[in-house]
Amino acid sequence: MDVTLIGQSLVSGLGIGCVYGLIGIGFCVIYNASGIVNFAQGAFVMLGGMITHVLLVRGELPYGLAILLAVLAVALLGVVIERVVVRPLWNRNAPMFVMILATLAAQIVIERLTYLAVDDQPKTLPVFTDLPPVMVRGIAVNMQALWIVAGSLAIVGLLALFFRTTRTGKAMRACAINREAAALQGIPVHSMLALAFALSAGLGAIAGIMLTPTQYTAFDVGVPFAISGFIAAIIGGFGRPFGAFLGGLMLGVVQAVAILFFGAGLKTVVALSILLLFLFVRPSGILGLAK
Amino acid sequence: MTATAGSVCLEVRDATRSFGGLVAVNAVSFQVARHSVTAVIGPNGAGKTTLFNLISGAVPPSSGRVLFEGTDVTHEAPEAKAARGLIRTFQLVKLFPELSAVENVKVGFHLRSRGGLLAALLRPRAIRDMEAAIEDRARALLHLVGLGSAADLPAAALSYGQGRLLEVARALAAQPKLLMLDEPAAGLNGDETARLASLIRDIAEDGTAVLLIEHDMHLVMNTADEVVVVDFGRKIAQGAPDRIRQDPAVIAAYLG
Amino acid sequence: MTSSPSTILRKAFPVPAQPAPRGRLAAVAPWLVAACIVGYALVAGGYPATVVGFALIYAVFVSGLNIFMGLTAQVSFGQSAFAAIGGYASAILTTQHEWGWLPAMVAGLAAALAAALAIGYPTLRLKGHYLSMATLAIGLIVHEIAVEWESVTLGYLGISGVPPIDIAGYEVSSDRAVLIMLSACVVATALAVARIRSSRLGRAFAGIAGSEDAARALGINVARYKLVSFLLAAAFASLSGSLFVHVVGYVSPEVFSLHMVILSFTMLYVGGIGTVAGPVIGALVVSVLPETFRSFRDYQDLAYGAALILLLIYAPRGLAGLFAALDTRRKP
Repeated sequence: MDVTLIGQSLVSGLGIGCVYGLIGIGFCVIYNASGIVNFAQGAFVMLGGMITHVLLVRGELPYGLAILLAVLAVALLGVVIERVVVRPLWNRNAPMFVMILATLAAQIVIERLTYLAVDDQPKTLPVFTDLPPVMVRGIAVNMQALWIVAGSLAIVGLLALFFRTTRTGKAMRACAINREAAALQGIPVHSMLALAFALSAGLGAIAGIMLTPTQYTAFDVGVPFAISGFIAAIIGGFGRPFGAFLGGLMLGVVQAVAILFFGAGLKTVVALSILLLFLFVRPSGILGLAK
Repeated sequence: MTATAGSVCLEVRDATRSFGGLVAVNAVSFQVARHSVTAVIGPNGAGKTTLFNLISGAVPPSSGRVLFEGTDVTHEAPEAKAARGLIRTFQLVKLFPELSAVENVKVGFHLRSRGGLLAALLRPRAIRDMEAAIEDRARALLHLVGLGSAADLPAAALSYGQGRLLEVARALAAQPKLLMLDEPAAGLNGDETARLASLIRDIAEDGTAVLLIEHDMHLVMNTADEVVVVDFGRKIAQGAPDRIRQDPAVIAAYLG
Repeated sequence: MTSSPSTILRKAFPVPAQPAPRGRLAAVAPWLVAACIVGYALVAGGYPATVVGFALIYAVFVSGLNIFMGLTAQVSFGQSAFAAIGGYASAILTTQHEWGWLPAMVAGLAAALAAALAIGYPTLRLKGHYLSMATLAIGLIVHEIAVEWESVTLGYLGISGVPPIDIAGYEVSSDRAVLIMLSACVVATALAVARIRSSRLGRAFAGIAGSEDAARALGINVARYKLVSFLLAAAFASLSGSLFVHVVGYVSPEVFSLHMVILSFTMLYVGGIGTVAGPVIGALVVSVLPETFRSFRDYQDLAYGAALILLLIYAPRGLAGLFAALDTRRKP
């Protein structure tokens, strides 16, 4: 096997791995705030690319503005889901599997609404900077992949700063450690939950927007992304946001190399095999479970 | 204290459990004899429930051993310990809220009955007889704990005290060799507590060892043969109720 | 029943078992409604018979799901995968290898159980969401395989010409014969679920649903019984998949999609989760009411998804709960 080819795969794997990692962080943020695994996570990713596309192409807005509005809109949608779907179930102490089911139903509703509002054709976005790929030892690194990696690292850094230094970030971490104790200390746990949904929806949207120029988006791409993000979260030790990012990188790279050997048709099969492998061998992930 | 293996039901040796830096249970040792009621008492946060969880298998000990009927069961899962006859109740009652009281007790017969998928689908004569027997005995057990008239109510509709009694009935259905009760009198009224005390004595006289955690000193003094006192995770005293009442260390722990 | 070492029970004077007070209407009404719908389809034949036939196949599928979700309170998003395995096994073996329908169905069942075991064994020991996500993934994977493995599955084209089921030389192919056969399957399924529910096995499931800690403390091997419940659900899914391909004569990847999963959840919640009649009445009502198989295909999933969210929030007990509420409440 050609070394450049493998190198090329590694580079594209790192790019998509960053995206999986961001989605995985989204899972962790909501899970830590509430114990809920939000199966509508993929919808945020899909909508990020989709809304940007609509604003850009149909609304003819400048690219940067379209991106900003799309991220805000998806974050708002996260809050709406929390208010309309999760909160009522939460208030009547519904079993966890009911909440999981409700978030999957929300995923389907969003998917179908998108399909009705737009159509079923794949959409793409222009690359952020239209420059030729950078060549590193014969490996072409395209600019969008650089954007993804740099953007993801910046976001992870900002998140770390947010959780460590801001009052709100610290309050969210307190909720993650012990919700009841946090409530007793006067932290508004309910608002934290809404904030967690907004944050994780925004993360998903950014991931989707960064990735769409290299791939495409369509109304039904959400679920596979959600699965990959979830696997990333498991590899990192569920509930550890930065573990999830590492997990995403691992998954992206392994998947990219596997595609090289087995073909793209079996992408999901490879991802699931990794999931099963981890569940069998080390269900607590590489870093161990949070808490 | 050297009890012969024959009369010892449960032996805890140097059981220790730490959570992070906090040592919740620190080298606690004691024995529970057959036909006896042993009570573990201590101030709130003394490590009683953690000790219970170590014995029942809900939490593995950091070190030390748990011997049940002479066998080392330290690292067995709760269901494996239950199968040996070590049955517990919970401090915060854990009922099956959707089921009626009598159905709750019938689940308790799991270990004392047989049958899987085939038995369920074909329902041969022997299984039908078994089901009828379980039904009768479940109702008898409810009557025993004073819930005879509430048998067909959903468990969720019972009062807190009734729920506790239901949990005891459900545990008895499993015919324990060692019955572990975690604060069984919490939330019970005077009548219910008196009934529970006499029930606990009856259970012990039948040959089932009883280990209870309790705050109700009246219940402890009336029922226990042996009292183990823990404070800050350590055993600070052990002995007959009368002696414990006068033990200076115990008085200090409770009053200081 | 092993003999009791305890005399506690002898001290308590025996209490005769009273017949549990039951809501008569609640027990009978769903079955009457179901019988009316099937009866109408039998008389009318044609298109109504097709709609009700599909509904009955779904009733088998949803009844299986109900064992896992309703009785055991676990969630699986990948039941469509097991239906696909059963359906494709039946289709491939009968059309390409000239197997009889029964051995093909059994082979499909075995394959579905093997897949369920591979997914369920590692994940059922962990928290619920691991299984949920793993099952969601297996749904996609089986779909992917059905599309990609063209040499066997013929990809999107699908496999047509699957022969109808024949019983003792009689081919079950007319509308009415199919309806009668499917009704018999549904009755057998409901009977099986009812018996499981009131058995030791069903009590173990109910224990897990109520409190896993309490179940373990009573000696119930939670991981093992969850697996049994999951395998049972997969078995009914596989059988319904096989029934589908024989009744319709055709299978393609779209038949067993996420759409099927959401639809079956809606049926389960409309009918009443955890009850025996719920899946049957839910499957019939959800299929018949909105004229599912015509015009508004684009809105179907949207409607089911939205209905599901509303049901989960406002009517978690479904029609079965409604019938029970209509019943004069028992008051001694």
